[in-house]
Amino acid sequence: MNYQAPVKTTLLEVRDLRTEFHTASGTVTAVDGVSFAIERGERVAVVGESGSGKSAMAMSILRLLTHPGKVAGGEVLLDGRDITKLSEGQLNAIRGRLVGTVFQDPMSSLDPVMRISKQMIEPIMRNLRLNREQARAEAIKWLGKVGIPEPERRIEAYPFEMSGGMRQRVMIAMALSCRPQLVIADEPTTALDVTIQAQIVEVLKNLTAEAGAAMMFITHDLGLVARFAHKVAVMYAGRIVEFGRVEDIFANPSHPYTQSLLGTIPSTSMLKSDRLPQIPGLPPDMRYPIVGCAFKERCAAAHDRCLREAPRLTDRGIDHRAACWSQHGLEHGATLKVERPERTNKPFEPDGSVVVELNALWKQFETSRKMVVKAVNGVNLRVHKGETLGIVGESGCGKSTVARLLLGLEKPTSGDIFISGRAQMVFQDPASSFNPKMTIGDIVAEPLVVRAQGNKAERLEAVRRLISQVGLDPAFAERYPHQLSGGQRQRVAVARALALNPSVVVADEPTSALDVSVRAQIINLLVDLKQELGISFVFISHDLLTVRYISDRIAVMYLGEVVEYGAAEEVFADPRHPYTKALIDAVPVPDPAIESRRTTTPLQGELPSPLNLPKGCAFASRCPMATDRCRAEKPSLPNHDLSRQVACHYAH
Amino acid sequence: MAEYTAKKLAQMLVTVLGVVTLVFFTLRLIPGDAASAMAGDTLSGEALQVLREQMGLDEPLLTQYLGFLRNLAVVDLGETITTRIPIAELLLRALPITLSIALATIVVSVALSIPLGTLAAYMAHKGRNWLDNGLTGAAMIIDLMPSFWTALVLLLVFSLGLGWFPASGQLNWSDPWALVLRLALPVIVLSLSQVATLARITRTAVLEVLNEDYVRTARSLGWSELRVLFRHALKNAALPIATVVGLSFGNLLGGTVIVEFIFTIPGVGNLLIAGINSRDYQLVQTLIVLYALLFVVINFATDLIYKTLDPRVQF
Repeated sequence: MNYQAPVKTTLLEVRDLRTEFHTASGTVTAVDGVSFAIERGERVAVVGESGSGKSAMAMSILRLLTHPGKVAGGEVLLDGRDITKLSEGQLNAIRGRLVGTVFQDPMSSLDPVMRISKQMIEPIMRNLRLNREQARAEAIKWLGKVGIPEPERRIEAYPFEMSGGMRQRVMIAMALSCRPQLVIADEPTTALDVTIQAQIVEVLKNLTAEAGAAMMFITHDLGLVARFAHKVAVMYAGRIVEFGRVEDIFANPSHPYTQSLLGTIPSTSMLKSDRLPQIPGLPPDMRYPIVGCAFKERCAAAHDRCLREAPRLTDRGIDHRAACWSQHGLEHGATLKVERPERTNKPFEPDGSVVVELNALWKQFETSRKMVVKAVNGVNLRVHKGETLGIVGESGCGKSTVARLLLGLEKPTSGDIFISGRAQMVFQDPASSFNPKMTIGDIVAEPLVVRAQGNKAERLEAVRRLISQVGLDPAFAERYPHQLSGGQRQRVAVARALALNPSVVVADEPTSALDVSVRAQIINLLVDLKQELGISFVFISHDLLTVRYISDRIAVMYLGEVVEYGAAEEVFADPRHPYTKALIDAVPVPDPAIESRRTTTPLQGELPSPLNLPKGCAFASRCPMATDRCRAEKPSLPNHDLSRQVACHYAH
Repeated sequence: MAEYTAKKLAQMLVTVLGVVTLVFFTLRLIPGDAASAMAGDTLSGEALQVLREQMGLDEPLLTQYLGFLRNLAVVDLGETITTRIPIAELLLRALPITLSIALATIVVSVALSIPLGTLAAYMAHKGRNWLDNGLTGAAMIIDLMPSFWTALVLLLVFSLGLGWFPASGQLNWSDPWALVLRLALPVIVLSLSQVATLARITRTAVLEVLNEDYVRTARSLGWSELRVLFRHALKNAALPIATVVGLSFGNLLGGTVIVEFIFTIPGVGNLLIAGINSRDYQLVQTLIVLYALLFVVINFATDLIYKTLDPRVQF
């Protein structure tokens, strides 16, 4: 008889994994009975909000958790061997060798006082049993593969001599150089720009596929999931609530949480007048035991049974499981609560008057070494009353400097700034812009105190009005910043910005520190305020989908210049500058069908140094269609008054 | 590098000059002078005046100040005003003793505190806090005890009570063992507070580094805990530790004055006390300049060490 052993294809199997954090305020069960499997060569995305336990789960697999985290139960079978039973020494033979890891923040994940060569070569020597010379050649080969120019020279660099994108390439080269069978990537592109993110994702995808390695990819970006994954695990409150093939998850999500998450992303087909669906409430406090389904408070389909009993994962199709008592999750049509506050006055109608005007704005900084950083180079922009101007571009393009100039935090080198009324600011990270020792009420009242407006009673009244205006209970005035969630803190930041009745609010990445489900709440709030109060917004972000949704007009910046300007819909539907095209191309669309059809050729290279700008077009060094004319002659933006402006010789 | 050194040297010169000036004029603010201190109640007004002229104390302050600077510039330390002994000669005998005490203290305290602090940090990192708590408690108690008090207690118990260490007597460079016994107690007194400070700094620095992402990276590459601790954690933690070791040298110099006095050791500290008591301006000024020089040189050395440890710091 011709007996053939079944081909064993499962690489990693996790069974009932439990991870606990023993803290002073109680035991947090960060991972609560997680089971799933990864086949050889398969890419599995793990998605979830912060606190959902996705990172803790990934770190538990290799026991990389530090105190007070501890794996409390379950099995992790790697190639059939339970690695939870291994000693530290045995585990060290697996770490780096069979399982490579790429972490989130490339700026801090490499040892700052060690050369790249030292950090890369020794693991290769140990794991692949090569001598120093061979290991060095191997390291250089991998640095070349991940796209580091001149790897023979760069291998002797220190991490601080490299950009974030380059460091993340080094991390990937380190993780892949020992030929692991599994790569665990924990939010590997979250800290990077979209264009760099697109490059890194391509590198990871191609190189793991080439080596036949499987990958566990942790992310909160559903667009990346669609571009990248074969299968998806959705985590909520320490558990996997849905698991399945990427097409099934996006086309037929069956857990209400997955359905809601997908609904909160501003889609390209969405109309401006549509409100962004938002998930109400917050994830549960994991310090307390959860009775019933963890999502019940935020779920429109919750019923009696959900309150009493936690659902287990059950089959919903081939390779598709979800943990919900109702078969299809939320009823079709009633997908999400679209909350709309009651309108007291009529929505504001833009009348075309100009609130902010920047004329030929230049800003140069001098470094300690007498070099000149040209941060903003001749920017002309207008913001109309009651409109939102979105500014997009990679980090270092000067968008934040424009914001600081607008607010008067920096003095322009030359040019004029005209503001009718007052400009206020909302920062990316509200936690660090609040004094932790002040109550929310004091924080909101601070601008009034500084300007000596009103007496104490009037200020108190104003604070209550402002806090309820941003959708919080006025009782929050008594609380302290640490008692609030990230989304609530950002609401307070908005309230503080509104205190002095500004005509324009500058918001610098106001949603990028927030989770997807909370992000929609803040965006809706800003849209409401714009319509109700007729305030103008300058919205600075690298999240192009959000900018598209919230902005009336968009300015695309590159190396301190505006390269394209126009109505948001037009710019996105028909980008004319090659840079705008590349930016929009780099954004992953949360739809695997579209992503699989797209052939992405990510923008090559990185932003040139603003210390010595090229003579011709600033974008020429990375532009796929650059000619000699572009390198010699600088294209300028046409007339200030045109509603659509493109700085390119070849744009029509 | 050359530019950096030149700049740093200029800064050091300014610092020392500032100290010299400050000390020169504040010394003169103290009531009484060398002549009156030497004479006591025995001399009349006129005789005292003669003594002043002999000592050069009758000249205008500015002339005295400029003269002092001129002599410093050509490394002429001069003589003590009261006893007419060349100061260079005094220093030649006293300085090696004080430097030995200071160096021994640094070696002992670094050798004790870095392993202790690292171990405490590592155990705290793993959730076992007893060594950490013990260390913090002990350090607090040591900080509460002034070093002159500790010195007296040790002197009473170990020298006068148990007789293990000599409490007085000549320092004999040709008999190393006797020298070690003679200097042991002063070094222990000074090391106590140094260890308390350094162990805590080391503990904090290492604990912080252990939570850094690159330590997790090293673990994810399969390196053993020992290697992670020494190659990554301690190497990075060495930066703040080196800074504190350099800074604590100032405290240490102050400490030597106290222990030398209590253990009657003929070092620079005792010279200083004698100089102050006899209002010997020349001696006190010279010693203060010496202390200031030592201090800036050590700081400069710390800077250099820091720069070799951390490639991110540019010259």
